[in-house]
Amino acid sequence: MTSSSSSPRLNGARLAQGVAGLIVGGGLGYLVGRLLKQGDIDLSGLTWSDSVAALIAVMLFVVGLILIAATFHRGLAARVMDPASDRPARPAQITFYRQQAIVLALAGVMMAAPVAARLAWQPLSSELAGAAMAAIVALFLVQTVLNLSVWIRADEMIRQTVAEAGAICFWVLQGALFLWAAAEKLELVPALSAWDMMTILMGFYLVISSVISVRRGLA
Amino acid sequence: MKNRLKVLRAERDWSQADLADRLEVSRQTINALETGKYDPSLPLAFRIARLFGQPIETIFDDGQA
Repeated sequence: MTSSSSSPRLNGARLAQGVAGLIVGGGLGYLVGRLLKQGDIDLSGLTWSDSVAALIAVMLFVVGLILIAATFHRGLAARVMDPASDRPARPAQITFYRQQAIVLALAGVMMAAPVAARLAWQPLSSELAGAAMAAIVALFLVQTVLNLSVWIRADEMIRQTVAEAGAICFWVLQGALFLWAAAEKLELVPALSAWDMMTILMGFYLVISSVISVRRGLA
Repeated sequence: MKNRLKVLRAERDWSQADLADRLEVSRQTINALETGKYDPSLPLAFRIARLFGQPIETIFDDGQA
């Protein structure tokens, strides 16, 4: 019978995920470090929100890649997505997990793309900016379709978790936005850009959805 | 909300995954229900009641009775 308590297997699966994350994340960090050292990229023009967005993007992309790789083995997929599971993932579950993983990876790519484009091409011409934006819109459409598919396939607890995280984000951030906007109007605080607000929203949503997921045993 | 899901499942020697398959939800949802971390929707509560052949109120207890 399946146990609901933390087991050595559960801890082992989490440890394996952590190690995989360190390997992939470390590899990416090493690559960026080399590019920085060689002077191929210049981070001096990055704002705080560019840095935070890049960090979130890398996290999403790395987690997405690890999950995509795990879905090619039914037993591994079950252990990664549901460590307490006592059986390999079924084909329908594999498809569901893979869609979730692709959604995460695409979110990472889309978040990194504007920052990466500005770093890669300085100055950024309007033609290149337009091309980058067209690519982002195309990815956004693909990700939206996959997101809707994940929502339709998800069971009611996952849907409620997403809905609760969205509701908490709306109520907290609309209040924070109002207060910041009022302070900005009174020239008490600096202006925020749309990119700043998007980064705050994404970071806050990830934290809230992770907390709710952990509390319900989804993560 | 308290419930007797774990007892009813154990009586049938079903794993959480077995029950999840029968109710068409994830195993994590069954675990969250059994540990009181999640209250089911009314449609899911009815499906659970039908599966075990018992009235909803004998499976779920909102502490008001």
